[in-house]
Amino acid sequence: MKTYLKLNNDVLNSYSTTGQLELEKDREATRRYFLEYVNVRLRYFIDIEEKIRYLVDEGYYEKEFIDMYDMEFIKQLYKKAYDYNFRFPSFMSASKFYDSYAMKSRDGEEILEKYEDRIVIIALYLAQGDTVLAERSVEAMMEAYQPATPTALNSGKKARGELVSCFKLSMDDSMNSISENIGYCLELSRLGGGVGVNLTDLRPLGDPIKEILNRASGVIPVAKLLENSFSYSNQLGQRNGSGVVYLNVFHADIENFISSKKPNADDKIRLATLSTGIIIPSIFFELMKRDKDIVLFSPYDIFKEYGKRMSEISITEMYYELLDNPNIRKIKRLNARKLYTEVKKAQFESGYPFEIFDDNVNKVHPLKNIGRVKMSNLCTEILQVQETSIITDQDKPNEYGLDVSCNLGSIDIHAASKVKDFEKLVDTAMHLLTNVSQMTHIKNVPSVAKANKLMHSVGLGCMNLHGHLVTEGIMYGSKESVDFMDCFMEAMNYYSLKSSMEIAKENGESFYRFEDSDYASGIYFDQYVNKIEEEVSPAVLKALGNVPIITTKMWETLKQDVMQYGLFHSYRLAIAPTGSISYIRSCTASISPSTERVEVRDYADSRTIYPMPHLTNENSHLYVEAYDVNPYDLIDLYAASQKHVDQGISMTLYVTDNWTTEQLAKIYIYAWTKGIKSVYYVRQRLQSLEECVACQI
Amino acid sequence: MSNLIYEAVNWNKPTSELAQVFWDQQWKQIWFPEEIAVSKDVKQWQSFEHQDTYKKVFAGLTLLDTVQTNIGMNRVAAYTTDLQEKAVLTVFDAFEAIHAKSYSYIFTTLCTNEEIDELFEWVKKNEYLQYKANKIGDIYNSIEEGDSESLWKAMFSSVMLESFLFYSGFFYPLYLGGQGFLRNSAEIISLILRDESIHGVAVGFFAQNLYKQFSKEKQEELKLWGYELLLDLYQNEMNYTDDVYAETGLSPEVKAYVRYNANKALMNVGFESMFPEEEVNPIVMNGIRNEGSTYDFFSQKGSTYAKAKVAPITDDTFNFNR
Repeated sequence: MKTYLKLNNDVLNSYSTTGQLELEKDREATRRYFLEYVNVRLRYFIDIEEKIRYLVDEGYYEKEFIDMYDMEFIKQLYKKAYDYNFRFPSFMSASKFYDSYAMKSRDGEEILEKYEDRIVIIALYLAQGDTVLAERSVEAMMEAYQPATPTALNSGKKARGELVSCFKLSMDDSMNSISENIGYCLELSRLGGGVGVNLTDLRPLGDPIKEILNRASGVIPVAKLLENSFSYSNQLGQRNGSGVVYLNVFHADIENFISSKKPNADDKIRLATLSTGIIIPSIFFELMKRDKDIVLFSPYDIFKEYGKRMSEISITEMYYELLDNPNIRKIKRLNARKLYTEVKKAQFESGYPFEIFDDNVNKVHPLKNIGRVKMSNLCTEILQVQETSIITDQDKPNEYGLDVSCNLGSIDIHAASKVKDFEKLVDTAMHLLTNVSQMTHIKNVPSVAKANKLMHSVGLGCMNLHGHLVTEGIMYGSKESVDFMDCFMEAMNYYSLKSSMEIAKENGESFYRFEDSDYASGIYFDQYVNKIEEEVSPAVLKALGNVPIITTKMWETLKQDVMQYGLFHSYRLAIAPTGSISYIRSCTASISPSTERVEVRDYADSRTIYPMPHLTNENSHLYVEAYDVNPYDLIDLYAASQKHVDQGISMTLYVTDNWTTEQLAKIYIYAWTKGIKSVYYVRQRLQSLEECVACQI
Repeated sequence: MSNLIYEAVNWNKPTSELAQVFWDQQWKQIWFPEEIAVSKDVKQWQSFEHQDTYKKVFAGLTLLDTVQTNIGMNRVAAYTTDLQEKAVLTVFDAFEAIHAKSYSYIFTTLCTNEEIDELFEWVKKNEYLQYKANKIGDIYNSIEEGDSESLWKAMFSSVMLESFLFYSGFFYPLYLGGQGFLRNSAEIISLILRDESIHGVAVGFFAQNLYKQFSKEKQEELKLWGYELLLDLYQNEMNYTDDVYAETGLSPEVKAYVRYNANKALMNVGFESMFPEEEVNPIVMNGIRNEGSTYDFFSQKGSTYAKAKVAPITDDTFNFNR
């Protein structure tokens, strides 16, 4: 047995038996891991030049981007990276990096890259010959910026997957569109992406086909086809493809859709590996509040009557119109409270469906004049406008609309509070994300390629919030923590807008139909230029460190600049759940609370014990575990952050199993009232038997 | 026709202190082996050196769960008088059947039909395995109507089986799974463990209630009987461990784990532990913590979702006292 695994496991074992954290065991595990595993496999090179030559000649690195730079510059850049004296702070970070990210020889025996090497290669690759950007990128990445996994993993490699990992597709109500989109899913899944597909526009079970009644099979069989496509196309067996399907809660197939994830669902409708999400317009909550029935509709009728797809209209605005129109069938009436209880039941039993609050998303959508946001992605943080493609018969050309690919990156909040120049950090991150988008061309999915070219959307997020709060002595969920995120995300918003404006100015190019956006009209900035500047408490100021407080005056200037020069990116911010990448950097995930002080992380292929970053025996009371955080406080914190994020935030809720469906419904409704745009998973901790018996015997 | 008065189980009036708790907990954690993608283990399995040990470990567990389904829980339930506790035990029995079947699910995924047939033959021939099945089975079969002493003995044996004898087998998948090997099969084991630990606690609790009703002298006598049975089973377990784990070099570690669980089993029936504390492999220890480890959303199904408690949405659901 590997001694480092045993040492790493010992950390949890002794923590759970004695309550004492033995971090030296984890350090020893890391040391032994290097001695026993890494150092013996690391290929030796005389110098950087020999290393790069070898890796290029042997076909590990692409030659083209290396040739864009002078070898002296490359050497300097390596030195710059190595001068940071980086050390992996935990066994988790080291093992995750060497297991999954470092370049290895084709037979998997030799390790060809260290942490710094990977950073330099990402910088060189993404900077595309721009030496200033390359240098800034090394700084940003060694200090506080982390590109998402596909970018970090694939940059510079000759045999590689795509740099982006996240896609959204809209399916239309025709066989041509269904089969075309299944093809896209196979393709995107092959590239390792997570794909979201909107099923709201498909006609439900029993609807007419060619005017003949009772012919359509509804959305579930289509979802099953998608599920099979994702599991077939699995990156050479490395990882099963992942997908999510979304459906509007007013769609006539909603009941089957909700039950489809329950473990005891009928095999004919059960979705075992495909994720599900529902789109909920505000009218649903309003009807539920008044204890009314809701009426389910068919997108087939809506399109016939109004010439619009169901996802293209606001159900909240159109609900009574649809009710009154005799040409719209009222397919079924259901009590809203009962239906929502079914949703909660399914969430307890399976974690699904995710929920997207349609009006919270679209009311503040800065591109609302361009189109509606109809759905989200696999982690519910991407919320962008889409336009459905018209897929014609094979003898006519297709008319491609806009779908979504999104490339993501995250800023380490703790490190960001310490960098010299926060503005520069955000700007560098924005440049790197921009270059990823420009280097990406998903040629086999034309609607994605087209949108990428026109929209330049990116998603910059952040992580390590809980870790940072602990170092500052601030309790997660407290008023200080909420105020902190309010200021921090405002600064992220401000500087990402500023950067996007500068890039537009430089390139003389804005995103497609910028002139129709709330940025161009200036409306977007109302909330900021009219805000009341409040005193920030000393604790929050200290926690912000070098992150500036944004004043109304600064906003006023930026507003003028944006209106004059435009914006390069249609979308800029999105906070992803950040799995692996936060582990490598020893960060807590996203802006969520950590689930356990000493976490057991089961990946598909290994189990690793991970004491939370900055955790010590002294500060462990500050690491209040997610299940012990008041969910209303958690929602307040996310709501404060959401105000400053143009897309979404992946928000997981944590409950224990003594919760009822009613309590769960209540926190979702609370989230909706607070302007939250999406809820990702609800996770529950099963009380172990000792706990529940203990309180009775 | 007989002229008995049949009584209906009335859950409106608690007759057992904890039956409801055990009932809820067991149903909350319902699962089926088909939810776990064991097929993902196939690749690792094909190049696995100790296939033989692994298969035998699982075959042995299958036998124990079969005995527990067909005789153990069944007979204990039949002779338990409290109707609510009886219901709980019957539910446990159904889960035992799921467990026994889930090993077959693993076999079907990993092994050929011929291998599987051989294994079930091996089960019939292995003396240590048959010894423990016989030993426990005999005690189950000697419960007599209205004789709480024989019922207590059966409950004691049931706890020994579920909290102690299973663990020589559980060790291996937990040990390998914790190191990233055959993770999905290990996931099934951890789900089985989650059930067995309630069964051990519940039956142990029922046994303790019964035990309290005996006279001091009888208690002493039964205690002696219990420790003797444990020692007897322990000796056999040591031999079984040597036999099955011979080629892996893991015997000493498995034995330490068996002793650790023997102590736990004794605690469940309210007796003092017997073996001195010793270090158990931390990887295996971490494998039995059921609090719900953090799952990679792209990977497997976590073991942390459970049945919902339903309560209606009311007007008050829309009032937030904040």
